[in-house]
Amino acid sequence: MSTGRKILLLHLGVLATLLIIQFALPPYHHTNVARIMVLAGYAIGYNVLLGYTGLMSLGHAMFFAAGMYGAGLPVYYLGVGAPAAFGIGIASGSALALVFGLMALRTSGPSFLIVSMMFGQAFFLATLYFNEITLGDQGFILSEKLAPLRFGGTALGFHEPAVKYNLALAIFAACLAASLALRLSAIGRVLIGIRENEERTRLLGYDSFKYKLVSLGISGALSAAAGAGYALLFSYVGSTFATILFSIYPLLWALLGGIGTVLGPLVGTALMFYLVDTVSGVTSSYLLFVGAALIALILWFPQGILGTARSRWLPWLP
Amino acid sequence: MAALAPLLATQALCKHFGGLAAVRDVSLEVGQGEIRAIIGPNGAGKTTLVGMICGRHAPSSGRIVYGGRDITRLRPSERLRLGIAYTFQVTSIFKGLSCYENVALPAQRPLMRGFAAHFAPGEAAIAERVRAALDAVGLGGLAGQRADELAYGHQRLLELSMALATEPRLLILDEPTQGLAEGEIASLCELLRRIARQATVLLIEHNMQVVLALAGRVTVMDAGEILAEGTPSEIEGHPAVQKAYLGR
Repeated sequence: MSTGRKILLLHLGVLATLLIIQFALPPYHHTNVARIMVLAGYAIGYNVLLGYTGLMSLGHAMFFAAGMYGAGLPVYYLGVGAPAAFGIGIASGSALALVFGLMALRTSGPSFLIVSMMFGQAFFLATLYFNEITLGDQGFILSEKLAPLRFGGTALGFHEPAVKYNLALAIFAACLAASLALRLSAIGRVLIGIRENEERTRLLGYDSFKYKLVSLGISGALSAAAGAGYALLFSYVGSTFATILFSIYPLLWALLGGIGTVLGPLVGTALMFYLVDTVSGVTSSYLLFVGAALIALILWFPQGILGTARSRWLPWLP
Repeated sequence: MAALAPLLATQALCKHFGGLAAVRDVSLEVGQGEIRAIIGPNGAGKTTLVGMICGRHAPSSGRIVYGGRDITRLRPSERLRLGIAYTFQVTSIFKGLSCYENVALPAQRPLMRGFAAHFAPGEAAIAERVRAALDAVGLGGLAGQRADELAYGHQRLLELSMALATEPRLLILDEPTQGLAEGEIASLCELLRRIARQATVLLIEHNMQVVLALAGRVTVMDAGEILAEGTPSEIEGHPAVQKAYLGR
């Protein structure tokens, strides 16, 4: 079997599995997996920037939240329909990412990290400052305002678990496909060149600023898609999602699953989600266990789970 | 040489780093299809000179003309598009990537014209160019190998292959034989002779055997200036060169 074939089958297999297990999952896990899929879309967006391009950001929550507010505010105030709101959410996140990139990409390495964190914090504080519109950390609920999706005569309400699950799957599939296509494209190769050695890539005739900006735009768009999807599917918008914690989460998910692997973000998000879920059922100090898990990860799987799998057993894994 | 317009000419090129004049008033002409060697002691300004030609350093003053066009202010990427390729004194490959990926990056560059081609310039066309460039240096069998797992000599060949993948008209090599074994040097010379049939080669080299065997003309630099220029045999006999460089 050719490598291209194997890659295609693996990713289609993952999506098919996610499609099928919804019929077997008990209700509690059904909702969890829907949530994981949307959040994995966010982690995929983060991974495009960190894993493929080598830029570590601590402000990504602003893109997730831009998607969330971009979708949520028009629904809440203007009664905009879900598809248009989703589109506005993605557009908000991408536009923010590009404007941010034009300024922040003058820096790199640790300076980029700091600058992204500052922008992220500024965004978070703005959501509090404009609390007459955003309702600050109290947030607002969309379920009353959001019209169901209509296909001919059938109405699909967002409160129905099956609708939630399959739309979450669609968002995840779109993010996964975009990430895989980017990874295998000529642009993806240039981004990896920049990650490995930016100076050398530039001397090969690539304008690295332009490529980093493209990468940031795609990363912002995917993060915003996840944010918009999260707002619409789980019906809540609030500034908690713009806090620095929500910038750190995708970093941890991507690290755990394997940065620079296409499926790593899904694996990392799912594991971390269930780790927190299981441990917090036992003790309130669940962060202690998360920390221990991360130390174990750094000690034994520094490349993350799929990163380690790739270097040990599956060299073809994208 | 006057009959043929030179491929590359520098005119009164200077480079100062702070108070230090690394290159002073260097005017050099390299003809089409030539193998030109630049020799000189450490610190003579050779690497700075070729750094200005390929665009790594901006000259303090002077002009660089390539193919009849003033390229003094062009960026490295634009010069590369015009066919100027450069290999580094210290190997500069993507150590974490396979040989194939290393060569694919320069190979796909000319194919990425237009919006759609940015995403899919055609992997088959890229693969063909990569294979040709790897085969040219004899690394065809190691395409899947990670670059940092290669022997040092092979890493240098990989870098040469990356330069070849851009299909250069002017290939600039900074000490290509450094750190190579005897046998590797001999096959590299053979390879460079083959490359010179299609491209002009500008070579910084310390190994006089290599210079004498390969170069059509030799330029000698010392303390940032051109000391002498001529055929290898003229250079060998030049008294100033013997004094300054060959140490006789």
